[in-house]
Amino acid sequence: MSNPFIRIDGVTRTFGEVYAVDDVSLDIQQGELFCLLGGSGSGKSTLLRMLAGFERPTAGRIIIDGRDMTDVPPHARDVNMMFQSYALFPHMSVERNIAYGLHRMGMPKAQIATRVTDMLSLVQMEKLARRKPDQLSGGQRQRVALARALARRPKLLLLDEPLGALDRKLREETQLELKKIQSSLGITFIVVTHDQEEAMTLGDRLGVMNEGRIVQVGAPHEVYEFPQSRFVADFIGTVNLFEGTIAEDRDTDAVIASPEAGIDIRIPHAVTGTAGQPVAVALRPEKIVISRTLPDPYDNVLTGQVTDIVYSGNLSVFHVTLASGKRVRVSRTNRLRAESEGIGAGDAVQLGFTGQSAVVLAS
Amino acid sequence: MSHTVLRLVVIAGFVFLYAPIVSLVIYSFNESRLVTVWSGFSTKWYGELLRDPQILGAAWISLKVAFLAACLATVLGTLAATALVRHGRFRGQTLLGGLVTAPLVMPEVIIGLSLLLLFVALDNALGWPGGRGLSTIVIAHATFGTAFAVVVIQARMVALDRSVEEAAQDLGARPLRVFFDVTLPGLAPALVAAWLLAFTLSLDDVVIASFVASPGSTTLPMVIFSKVRLGVSPEVNALATLVIATVSILALFSAWLSARRRGAGSGLSG
Repeated sequence: MSNPFIRIDGVTRTFGEVYAVDDVSLDIQQGELFCLLGGSGSGKSTLLRMLAGFERPTAGRIIIDGRDMTDVPPHARDVNMMFQSYALFPHMSVERNIAYGLHRMGMPKAQIATRVTDMLSLVQMEKLARRKPDQLSGGQRQRVALARALARRPKLLLLDEPLGALDRKLREETQLELKKIQSSLGITFIVVTHDQEEAMTLGDRLGVMNEGRIVQVGAPHEVYEFPQSRFVADFIGTVNLFEGTIAEDRDTDAVIASPEAGIDIRIPHAVTGTAGQPVAVALRPEKIVISRTLPDPYDNVLTGQVTDIVYSGNLSVFHVTLASGKRVRVSRTNRLRAESEGIGAGDAVQLGFTGQSAVVLAS
Repeated sequence: MSHTVLRLVVIAGFVFLYAPIVSLVIYSFNESRLVTVWSGFSTKWYGELLRDPQILGAAWISLKVAFLAACLATVLGTLAATALVRHGRFRGQTLLGGLVTAPLVMPEVIIGLSLLLLFVALDNALGWPGGRGLSTIVIAHATFGTAFAVVVIQARMVALDRSVEEAAQDLGARPLRVFFDVTLPGLAPALVAAWLLAFTLSLDDVVIASFVASPGSTTLPMVIFSKVRLGVSPEVNALATLVIATVSILALFSAWLSARRRGAGSGLSG
């Protein structure tokens, strides 16, 4: 494989005693839309700011397109950033905002005018070119910020919570638009977000960060379906975690003894570990079938009592308490308006799942 | 009921604050030479004023001093505020912040005296500033004007969104370019306010100027002060009215400027 477009190599950034970013290594390919996902204080923004040049790594190198950029100041990098606050120049009109970076490049005037027109039409802001930022709505400002950051045709665009300030409906539309713009221009995007749904929708790949480290990298479905740690399983989506120990581990199947679940959980494949090792079985709420009496046989069946039902229109989430006191969340699509088998709070229920849809986590 | 009481209290407050000034303005149009006896409307004292070379000369000196001191204070204030706000922690930061704003609370007599001693010592050691005059008053006024300018500019700089400057840098602007393209326009209202503040403070200072001025460089407040010692003349009333008019216009202008900026700024945060 050829050299990656962006190579982050053992980058660490400390602020006093605090490791904001702790020995992160990451390769990103050209044209990729990569999402850095993490909670606040996970180091994702610091990592982004190091790519832009606003922070210097305490250790490690950052290589972009074959060139070591670690010590290059922000104004000399072929990298642009879209700021969380948009950071538009308040005293300049929309077109002057977009043209600003082009003037700094020394681009001829006529060419700047063409480029600004192109960018305005890309983000559908032609009619508002002469407005000042304070005369625009949040969504319009977001578009101007994007156009300004893209105007110089950077090799790499960094987006810091690009949709954070938009309301939900607008955010969903803008996600798709952002993806479309990215693939049509072929520019590599790195998006920082704390919103796991946004990261899954936008990203070709995700990097999940926690306490300054990258804990898992992969395509959205890989990270969701095959989390490698309790942290990732819990951070991305909702999950039920059953603590237990490996009781049997054979070539074709395994059994996890889990007093918390009240049963021996059967997994139809080998797990990596030794007998007696403590593990957790992670199970997504939508992978469990809930019924008073299950119509079909399942590898694993739990019994419990419904304590709560949370209705949210398309879904209902059932909170079921097992004999061990463990609470399990089960979600079910509300396929029929009048549910034939109405389950109410206090009902005794069976929960069925296949071992295939569970993930055994050692860490 | 409580509304009426509130209104009365407000009116009483305004009367307390402005009645002396209003009466001064009214008596400046009094025809009589006796300040306390009204004998008819006249603008003759304004005419007298314009024919008084001592007052005109002093007014000109005051304006020159105030203009130069305000410019100097604004530039120094901007530099000090930049150092305090934008350069992270550095050795002596707290000391600089304290020292820069110390003149705000220092008695004027002490500032005046210490500057006088400094100028005399400098004269003996370096032969500069070569006696007292316009330049020593400008330096003295710039000293305490800077203290006020720092406070005003610093407050604005803290409120400025840092990422706007970073955006300019990110789009290819070198640090100096960022300062002139983004930081300075953002600071503009504060710079105007600081300049106007330093200007008016210089215009009405009498204590410090008395220490560092020479007989050839008497400022307007010094002239008024010396005239009043011989009894209040209607001429002084007229002069004071003109000073009040100038200061009011400047104050209104700066208030209008900042209101306009606020109106524009509120859209940004919304």
